[in-house]
Amino acid sequence: MVTLEKMPDVISTPSIPPATEAPQKAQIEIKDFEFAYGENRVLHSVNLQILPRAVTAFIGPSGCGKTTLLRCINRMNDLVDSARVERGEILIDGININAPEIDVVDLRRRVGMVFQKSNPFPKSIYDNIAYGLRVAGVTKRSRINEAVETSLRSAALWDEVKDRLDRSGLSLSGGQQQRLCIARALAVEPEIILMDEPCSALDPIATARIEELIHELKTQYTIVIVTHNMQQASRCSDFTGFFYLGNLVEFANTAKIFSNPTRRQTEDYITGRFG
Amino acid sequence: MENGKHILGTFNEALRSLRDNVLMMASLTERNLNNAIGGLLRRDDELCALAIADDSEIDELEKQIDKDGIEVLLRFQPVASDLRRVVSAIKLNSNLERVADQAVSIGRRARKLNAHPPLAEMEVIEPMHRHALAMLRDSMHAYMREDAALARAIKPRDKALDEMNRAAGRVFTEKMAVDPKQLRGYLNLMFIARCLERVGDHATNIAEDAVYAVAAEDIRHLHA
Repeated sequence: MVTLEKMPDVISTPSIPPATEAPQKAQIEIKDFEFAYGENRVLHSVNLQILPRAVTAFIGPSGCGKTTLLRCINRMNDLVDSARVERGEILIDGININAPEIDVVDLRRRVGMVFQKSNPFPKSIYDNIAYGLRVAGVTKRSRINEAVETSLRSAALWDEVKDRLDRSGLSLSGGQQQRLCIARALAVEPEIILMDEPCSALDPIATARIEELIHELKTQYTIVIVTHNMQQASRCSDFTGFFYLGNLVEFANTAKIFSNPTRRQTEDYITGRFG
Repeated sequence: MENGKHILGTFNEALRSLRDNVLMMASLTERNLNNAIGGLLRRDDELCALAIADDSEIDELEKQIDKDGIEVLLRFQPVASDLRRVVSAIKLNSNLERVADQAVSIGRRARKLNAHPPLAEMEVIEPMHRHALAMLRDSMHAYMREDAALARAIKPRDKALDEMNRAAGRVFTEKMAVDPKQLRGYLNLMFIARCLERVGDHATNIAEDAVYAVAAEDIRHLHA
């Protein structure tokens, strides 16, 4: 007979283990990371471990450094003049992504990105997906066809567009365009997907679709999402990091952050007492 | 609930209103319990009638607090300490309403007892009432002042009240055996003692909600 003490605590125990007791090896390790734009240091000694096949959300007020850190994970900030890593490193699967021998194009294939505003190419739906593959040197038509279908299915868009793949990507609704961008990111078979406020321009239904998609994608991909929407972070993510003035104030299991954060600053921010 | 102000003034206002109504509910509940016990100890049927009649006011307030709490959840989607405070307010609201129901039951039994010559054993009730009332007050103070230590101290006090109830039961049972003509009277007293014991249980529940609100800790069903 099972005693009460031995019964599993199905209500209070989250399905995701606490960040501090993570049994898995982190896929992304951020160590003493400091980053600056010119003289302006925007990230201060950030230490963070991001687990594979989980959704990690970065929250915090505007200018806190969360988007900067997200963009550092696939070196998007390389494109910004005066942006530089001041100290520390970001490791993906144990390899420092800022090491000189790293091929940035290959890094960005492995670490895809979805932006705040959907940005499909002014091309057909098919070509939007095929583009990354062609850049990567894939020429075989059957292989591209297969990747287009698989990516669109993974992005929950296939059923809506399968009969009009030759239509412009720009003809789709905002929510569909964002899912097209996710499909485009998936086509090159990344391991990690970075999302920078992917639903901020979408209506609630389109937002729900993207959130549902995030939930499905995390079974195969590591997802890091920046969001200003507190409810979205609590719904979608397994782990949450709260940033303030370039510092990672608190990082923990999302349930913990939104029910009983350890740091007063986190509590004040998520309850709307900040400012 | 005034733990630093929100940027959103309407959120502050909604939380303040919820807190005020909970405080009002606690005051009215305490008043009804005192009226019911006063009606018994002073043999005053009017006080008993008040405890019974005023229950409808508390029922209305219970519905209002639930409605306000749900509205806060709906409109502001509170998290962390705000969420815990709202959830606790809704839960302790229900416990306060049930304390008021106990007051109604006591008032009804007291009226029956008042119709007959007083029983000397009634004196057993007074210390139980004092104990239960102190528990109720302290549990509400713990919630209002966010005093987790005070809230945690309530649970052991409930054991003392349980023991008082058991002792009262023994006294009444013995008297029933020796004076069967007063059987109904002693049964009514036994029932009143049981009601006060239940008030202690509700006060304990409120204290547990207070600990959850303040410290995010679920101390229910923990056996010390």
